[in-house]
Amino acid sequence: MFSTFRLSMTWLHTWFGLVLGYVLIVVFFFGSLSVFDREIDRWAIPETRFAPQPMPSFDTMLAPIFARMAPEPDELKAAAARVKGPLPATLAPMNWGAYTTHRDPVLSLYAEYAVPNNPADPDDHVHGHATLDPRNGRLLPDDQLKIGSEFFYPMHYGLNLAWKDLGYWIVGFAALVMLAALVSGVVIHRRLFRELFTFRPRKHVQRSTLDLHNLTGVVALPFHFMFALTGLTVFASIYLPVSETLLKPQAVAAAMADAAAKGLPFKPAGVQAPLASVDAMVVEAKRRWAARGMPGEVGYLYVNHVGDRNSTVTLYRAGSDRVTLVGQPIHFEGSTGRVLLEEPSPSAVASVNDFLTGLHLQHFEHWLLRWFYVFGGLCGCACIATGFIFFVEKRKRQHAKAGTGGARWADAVAVATVTGMLVATLAILVANRLLPADLAQRGDWEKAAFWGAWVLAAAHALWRSAPVRDARLSSAWAEQCSAVAALAFAAVALNWITTGDHLVRTLAERFWPVAGLDLALLVVGMIAGAAALALRRRAGAAIAKSDPAASTVDAAEAANA
Amino acid sequence: MDNVENHSQQSGPMRTLQIVSRVAAGVLGGWSFTWGFVVLGIALALAAGMPYADAQTLLYLVAFLVYLVVFCWSFAAASIARVWLVLLGGGAAMTGLGWWMARLQAV
Repeated sequence: MFSTFRLSMTWLHTWFGLVLGYVLIVVFFFGSLSVFDREIDRWAIPETRFAPQPMPSFDTMLAPIFARMAPEPDELKAAAARVKGPLPATLAPMNWGAYTTHRDPVLSLYAEYAVPNNPADPDDHVHGHATLDPRNGRLLPDDQLKIGSEFFYPMHYGLNLAWKDLGYWIVGFAALVMLAALVSGVVIHRRLFRELFTFRPRKHVQRSTLDLHNLTGVVALPFHFMFALTGLTVFASIYLPVSETLLKPQAVAAAMADAAAKGLPFKPAGVQAPLASVDAMVVEAKRRWAARGMPGEVGYLYVNHVGDRNSTVTLYRAGSDRVTLVGQPIHFEGSTGRVLLEEPSPSAVASVNDFLTGLHLQHFEHWLLRWFYVFGGLCGCACIATGFIFFVEKRKRQHAKAGTGGARWADAVAVATVTGMLVATLAILVANRLLPADLAQRGDWEKAAFWGAWVLAAAHALWRSAPVRDARLSSAWAEQCSAVAALAFAAVALNWITTGDHLVRTLAERFWPVAGLDLALLVVGMIAGAAALALRRRAGAAIAKSDPAASTVDAAEAANA
Repeated sequence: MDNVENHSQQSGPMRTLQIVSRVAAGVLGGWSFTWGFVVLGIALALAAGMPYADAQTLLYLVAFLVYLVVFCWSFAAASIARVWLVLLGGGAAMTGLGWWMARLQAV
């Protein structure tokens, strides 16, 4: 089909890059935001604007709250349809978990409840969750959406498309295409080193765009490659579920043998037993971590087989002082508090995997490195966006002459994904500050604002794309840049009006979660405003000089590019 | 950069079919091949005495590099028939062999 290797790679780069680029830019953008997901949560839930807290006492604070927790009503409803006969009035908890990081003022609590009488699945269960203010044990309202960690972050890895894990598969495929685009891009261009230093902003749009595309692709090439690859390996068990299917007997046998070798009960005994003091276990765990030369706090607390004689308590260390994602877990016997097992150092393979996973999930406390991640992610966005523009610039004159609409469609979808995505992101922040605090299902309304704004932006992009048909610039670019600027400034103003936390105050208090997001919003607003102005000026100039001679020169230059 | 569209040898429905076949081979055939590679690789690692969790992790670390290579190859290869044969045939053969080998292990 292709006469040379390079041509086949060019085809691959162009078409997969275009089609999956629309997904990839979403993944890169929300991945960049996810670096500061907890900080965005603080902006969105003003009553949680206080300093990060350590894991509170289990015995006095968490135990009674876990005991009061209940399964999610909608999960219960779905489970009722799966079982024979009616569900019992209360479901017994199987396990409890509490999770915090060095950036979390609030504590997340999770529980799993056994669902009996499901003939298809003896391990059927439902989930419950709660968010706690560890300073006073007060639960936060359940319908408050943590926009950063519960909406932007899932957007990054699953597009918030939960049905049949479809979002994971689309993102996974896009990641594979990202790897292929990097390989094929290197094959196409070859002069990798030179492209690091080449940007000619004053040249023709098509030339400057390609320069910027190559520059942003090459400057962060290792970042792009590692993140696409580790993103795939993190979710490998979804994409290649061998251990749940073909090799399930081997996987289950290995897991049981592992539990037996470690002396950890795999199943509950069926005999009730109370839980010993978990606080004492925490003291012992901290002592053991310190003895191994890595003192630290508890990041994750997990109680398995709750209320049973076989219950275990596992304490994981918060790994905020290193890249690699290891918890040095220590397992305790729940009924006695005796140490069952201090997990040994991971094997060589597991260490490599822990490092790569930690590299991607960045739980570490290193603000400069975190900002590098944002920079790398935004480089990816710029690379993809300039790819779209180059695709359109290269074809729009040809398509205009032939009377075909390909470039127009590609451009409209590019506007919808580049600026439309920004409009949607800012719309959810603005909605978060505008919706009444006591509105029922407030989080759902915020999500509706996000998707609604995105749909509107896409419709607008399509509606305003007619100029591309005549090889001119779609007016949607400039108009949506203006919308982005207006929304960004509005979000900062609304945060000030509704919470009183204006920049002078948050900067003086050095409360970076809110000050940082406000500053970022101001920068976005200024860049978008400047872009809107520049685009309008360019469109005006193009109309002024729309004599045929000029466009012939353009076309000749384009052919040389 | 050269304009790819001008280099095609065929045109019309024949070329569309070629493209659909290449894309399907790269995506679906590539996935089958990777699946087979992982199954066989885990079975081999188990036979060599590696614990199951390590075997799975090791193969997952390599799997997407394998997928990347065969995905790119399915566009670069001259013969699309050979691409389909290697990816589907190889995938099925590795899956079968790996499954058989894993069953031989004492469970």
